[in-house]
Amino acid sequence: MTVTGLVGLIIVGSFLGMMIIFNVVKSGSTEVKLRPIPAYTKIKRAIGLAVEDGSQLHVSLGRGGVTNSQSASAFVGLSMMEQIVRIASSGDHPPVATTGNAALAILAQDTIRGAYKAINLEESDTSAAGELVGLTPFSYAVGTLSTMQGGEVSASLLAGWYGSEITWLTTAGERTNNFTLAGTAHLPAQAIMYAAASETLIGEELFAGGAYLGAGSMHEASLSTQDVFRWVIVGGILMGIILKFVGFGPLIQDLLAGTP
Amino acid sequence: MKLKFRAPIATAIAMAVGIVVLLGYFVPAAKPLHFLFLRIGMVLAAVTLLVGVFNLLFVHIRKMSPKDSNGVYSFILVLALLITLGVGIFDIYKSYQPGTSSFEWSNWIFTYIQLPIETSLFAVMTVSLTYAAAHLLRRKQDFLTISFFFVVLLIFLGTLSLPIIDVPVFEDIYSWIISVPALGGARGLLLGIALGTIATGLRILTGSDRPYGG
Repeated sequence: MTVTGLVGLIIVGSFLGMMIIFNVVKSGSTEVKLRPIPAYTKIKRAIGLAVEDGSQLHVSLGRGGVTNSQSASAFVGLSMMEQIVRIASSGDHPPVATTGNAALAILAQDTIRGAYKAINLEESDTSAAGELVGLTPFSYAVGTLSTMQGGEVSASLLAGWYGSEITWLTTAGERTNNFTLAGTAHLPAQAIMYAAASETLIGEELFAGGAYLGAGSMHEASLSTQDVFRWVIVGGILMGIILKFVGFGPLIQDLLAGTP
Repeated sequence: MKLKFRAPIATAIAMAVGIVVLLGYFVPAAKPLHFLFLRIGMVLAAVTLLVGVFNLLFVHIRKMSPKDSNGVYSFILVLALLITLGVGIFDIYKSYQPGTSSFEWSNWIFTYIQLPIETSLFAVMTVSLTYAAAHLLRRKQDFLTISFFFVVLLIFLGTLSLPIIDVPVFEDIYSWIISVPALGGARGLLLGIALGTIATGLRILTGSDRPYGG
């Protein structure tokens, strides 16, 4: 095993261990303290309003694949969608999901079906609720536009992998005066979202969605673990600066390159 | 009594495969299984494409109703899909004939229909971006938004090459923004995203997130 492999395994192992420990600690406590993120407060309000006025919620899961590095943001989107389906289950219209990836469309249908089953609601046909709208960036954007601009949609959650075509979706949300919450792991798309969406999830805020929408204690535990690791990284960066300052630059480069 | 075995079995398979694939990145002994599972995953992803296209077709056939205001678009989509499918099958048949160029009609559709449409849409996107930038300060008027707007403006001024206006200071500001605050900020965001990605992956591996109906 290489040094890089060993370090990676230690990081993943300690991350998992810490998540389990925080989960055990947090499952006993009733009060959960999370720093306020206005975007999540507003999406909860939008869900409540949609249930009250009988309108529909739209979840867009992006066009990232499930077998590559783009999948994480789509999986978070699925997790948030499950919570939205549960919260909005008493509404007149079930939430609708659009994706630009076939595997994600199937997972979206499965997630919606699973959420209905979990709350003992029978939804016989979920094929229209998790829809593949296009396979290229622009066909996906155009297909999603027709759903967003449909008369029944009152709020949209855009959580997944997007490119610059996201500007169409966020601008459409603004034109129809519908609330749009957007988050992605793709940095250029984040900048566009910041300029055009009602609310934007910056950086790791997207990955905190499950915890803020009440998806369970493991989501809260993973947030605490992320905080611990963030401080470890901050410490590591400061240590690296000091070591480089005192003349250990080549050693740090060797460590980062994974050579002993 | 009806026993429900599907969910635990699906969860167990997903967890086991996920752990093996993860170990494959770190432990050389797990590499052969890692690549085997990844190859199976890719084949399954290709099959899901077929399922997805059928889903797209059936959903839009259902939407082709005179009551639906977007029904005409669904009709166009179904028609285009069927024509493209027909042309593709015809091209496959023709590719077996000796002396004929392969996938001539499919390439024609791609070159003369899809490519110009996507290029036009890309051009329209610049209008959308300009619209978003123009409305940015009207919608949000906080410190971050104003900073964002002026940084974008400075970047534009630094990258523009107008023959009349050539102010070197903008190029220097541009270079400094790109190499210092933008790079540092991007690294910070990417570190946060990386941690979030690890957490999401581990939640799926431990079965606390089950996006596969388990």
